[in-house]
Amino acid sequence: MFNQKRLKFTFVSFFILLVFILFDIFQLQTSEFLSSSEIIDQQNLDKFYITAPRGEIFDVNGEKLAESKLEPYLFLNMRKITSQNSSEYRQIIQYNFPELTTLEINEIFESKEILKLVTNLYSVEYEIRNNILNNFDAFLIIDLPVRSYIKNELFAHTIGYIGLPNQDDFNEFKNSLGNNQVGKNGLERYYEDYLSGIPGELIFLGSDIIDSKQPIPGGDLFLSIDSSTQYVTKESLQQGIDLANKSFESLNEIKRGASVVLEIETGNIVSMVSLPDFNPNKFVSGISDFEYKQLDRDQAFNNFAIQGLYPPGSVFKVVAYWLALSENIFPEGLSNRDSKVDCVGSLSFGFVDGSKQVYNDWKLEGHGKVDLTDAIKQSCNVYFWDIALNIWRNFGNTEGESILQEYSKELGFSKKTNIDLPFEKVGIIPDRDLFEEWKISRPGLVRDEGWLGGDLMNLIIGQGAITTTPLQVANAYRTLLTGENLSPTLNVNAEKIINNKINVSDEFISFLLNDLNTVTNKGGTAYVSFSILGNKANDIGGKTGTAQNAGDKNNTSWFVGVDSVSDPKYIIATVVDEGGSGSAVAAPVSRRIIQHLRKYELTPVKFGEITE
Amino acid sequence: MINRKITILGPEGTNLYILLQFLLFSVISWFTLFSSIESIEFETTNILSRQIVFSLIGLSVFFLTTYLSIENLYNLINPLFILSISVLSGLFFTTPILGVRRWYDLEPIGIPIFIQPSEFSKIILVLFIAKILSQNSYKLIFIMGVLINLLLIFIQPDLGTTVLLLLVTFFMFFISDIKLRSTVLGLLIFFLLFFILLEMNFIGDYQISRITDFFSGDDFSQNQSRLSISSGGLFGTYFTNLQVTEVFVPVQTTDFIFSLFSRNFGFLGGFLLLSLWVLFFFRVNRIIKLTQIEFEKYLLSGLLILLGVQIFINLLTILGFIPLTGIPFPLLSLGGSSIFSTAIIFGLINRVFIENNIVV
Repeated sequence: MFNQKRLKFTFVSFFILLVFILFDIFQLQTSEFLSSSEIIDQQNLDKFYITAPRGEIFDVNGEKLAESKLEPYLFLNMRKITSQNSSEYRQIIQYNFPELTTLEINEIFESKEILKLVTNLYSVEYEIRNNILNNFDAFLIIDLPVRSYIKNELFAHTIGYIGLPNQDDFNEFKNSLGNNQVGKNGLERYYEDYLSGIPGELIFLGSDIIDSKQPIPGGDLFLSIDSSTQYVTKESLQQGIDLANKSFESLNEIKRGASVVLEIETGNIVSMVSLPDFNPNKFVSGISDFEYKQLDRDQAFNNFAIQGLYPPGSVFKVVAYWLALSENIFPEGLSNRDSKVDCVGSLSFGFVDGSKQVYNDWKLEGHGKVDLTDAIKQSCNVYFWDIALNIWRNFGNTEGESILQEYSKELGFSKKTNIDLPFEKVGIIPDRDLFEEWKISRPGLVRDEGWLGGDLMNLIIGQGAITTTPLQVANAYRTLLTGENLSPTLNVNAEKIINNKINVSDEFISFLLNDLNTVTNKGGTAYVSFSILGNKANDIGGKTGTAQNAGDKNNTSWFVGVDSVSDPKYIIATVVDEGGSGSAVAAPVSRRIIQHLRKYELTPVKFGEITE
Repeated sequence: MINRKITILGPEGTNLYILLQFLLFSVISWFTLFSSIESIEFETTNILSRQIVFSLIGLSVFFLTTYLSIENLYNLINPLFILSISVLSGLFFTTPILGVRRWYDLEPIGIPIFIQPSEFSKIILVLFIAKILSQNSYKLIFIMGVLINLLLIFIQPDLGTTVLLLLVTFFMFFISDIKLRSTVLGLLIFFLLFFILLEMNFIGDYQISRITDFFSGDDFSQNQSRLSISSGGLFGTYFTNLQVTEVFVPVQTTDFIFSLFSRNFGFLGGFLLLSLWVLFFFRVNRIIKLTQIEFEKYLLSGLLILLGVQIFINLLTILGFIPLTGIPFPLLSLGGSSIFSTAIIFGLINRVFIENNIVV
């Protein structure tokens, strides 16, 4: 039978025990509060952080590009070093690690840290390690990750590199303090929080470790880049730069360039190269000041694909091409894409204010009768100047005068593409407002009259104040061919962000592709560069560009390729800074990359033809 | 038995008092853990989000248990007990974690938690003993069953849970009409067995050293937890501007969570929390008196004793009165198994309330 009395007895004894416990807690929190606080304050618990292994980085075929290998490091617990045993430990270190200098050993023993790094034990024999650990309790072995960039220079700008964090890094990335390393540039920085991992901890009470937390490794990154395409892109660009140096007399040595291969369907980056480059492994072991300054002088740390700002020249003409067909604005007197203007090699015109000007085309004898297709094919400036004049005469000094700039911005010019890389530059699309602003902020740069029709004529052929990055240009072409301005990405798992959509009809896209196709075929500006491929490659599209630079800088060489026009898969955008004519240098560089993409036999970059 | 209408919150609703207590204890646990996390991002490694998920699953476990009628439960006890014994035996085929075979790791099937079967087997043991006592039939095979259950936990080894279950068994037999003599005798026999096993080296050295260490000097974590409790003062650091250096307590979010709670909410918090438990005991005790069914009386008393002894062992451990045991504080400590088993206890109590037509 259930005994209610005994249950009552049980609960009453529970209650008495509870009162006893509460009384003890009460005493702890009142009368012992102050003495406890004192003990707590004297308890200097210290944390020692252990760097977490960074996530590794792989290319599209699963090939490893950056790894984190754990290597054993010997540490000395400085709190266990006393004046009695210090000489003994010093002797052990001197005896076992003869490569350490007296200066370095002195530094160890003068250290104020809890745990002081002695040396890397990676190549030290197991017996020595064991002997040291077992007999001397101030020694401690901790496995620490070592970052290495397997492909050396090849991914210097995309993957970037790690370094010691500074105050700003501490504020921005919470794990950088404990890891004592942070991504400084490239993907290493953009995905710092994902790659870094969470540092482990050793908790010290005095000289004893009373608790530890294992570091949690960072996540791995999988890229859309293909290592072999990246390699060929770099090789071809370098050949292009060498070729330009050989072919042109340039005041400065030609060194800089960038090339990007963008997958049209996905917006994935297949390769991205910027030259000159550097070996990111040097940042892991520590780069010398001299070497750093030299690389910095060559601007090797810039990723010109997203940070190089160049006037785009004629590759920009597709913007006007799109505008002309969308708005039905053709050269004055023309009503459709098939009507022709007579290009006599120059354009002279008068403005409302009475001024008269003559603009000379790159081809002094003229292109003859030119329609829209011919204007792209032969890169005829006169045709596009005529469009600019038409815009200016109709809309000049009204709100509509910035229609070309609006179309440019729809394609992503003067905005970030928002690729998953840090420090992207945006470039400039000039207009009246900007010139007014510059009159105040940068006096002397623009005329007192401000924005004039001539500036619009410059803009329409990609000259003047306009600057763009190679990636912006590649992405603008992608936008025109797909109707959506998507952020390009390197990480295959990155979210695809649509910046904006544009209105392009299928008819327009096929017109554009056909017209770009004429450029690499007979009569086109890039024909010489591509004829080497023969008939099997007559379905490649592209646009050459040669942008003039201020001062005695050589022209900027541009080529934007579309492979192919029948099945558009890739956009290839190439820039050689001071590389001269686009059809002569940038076009054959792109041609060689396309040879690789199509698995054709590679032939060296050969000088094309000087056109624009 | 009356045919009951089944509603979404259990048959004829649910006892609001029991539900409220469950939610209250869960929220207190969230607030306590909130102070020890660095970020509030929702991820599986974040202890607060883990605990919230555990609590929510616990809540559904509570409701699910409520659907099980006491009659059905009664008939299920023998199969459940056999299942419990089998699952406990199955642990011997697992790889030891931290030197003991106490958990089933669910990571391989995609759930990132460890299941500790002894958390559930202790409820089943209470059910089993309640059944023996209410039937008033003390067959040898039943007594052997109880002993085997205790032994299986004892050799995991899990000394803390063994002592807990030993005490629960003792108190449950104590509240029946069995002569006090035989209950005490049973306890003595078990202690004798303990020393025999000790001689046969069945108990790991570290368990012995835990006990001898305790008597030989101060345990570091217990010292630290006393300091942590002390640093809370009367009103705690959570709502006041009390500037106290943080105290390091090992495993502070699980077994030692009361030291974190006390630090945050001071004596006032501790007093209120324990008062809530006292109220809970009073409330359930009223039903023990009210119900006419012997089994329900034993069941409710057994569950209360189980909860009470757990709380006492936990508090006495972190205050340093007894050696380290590893018994969590019900509904306060971080951990899924503990929350789910407590949810089952609350669910069973809730069902008895409903069957006695007490819904508020």
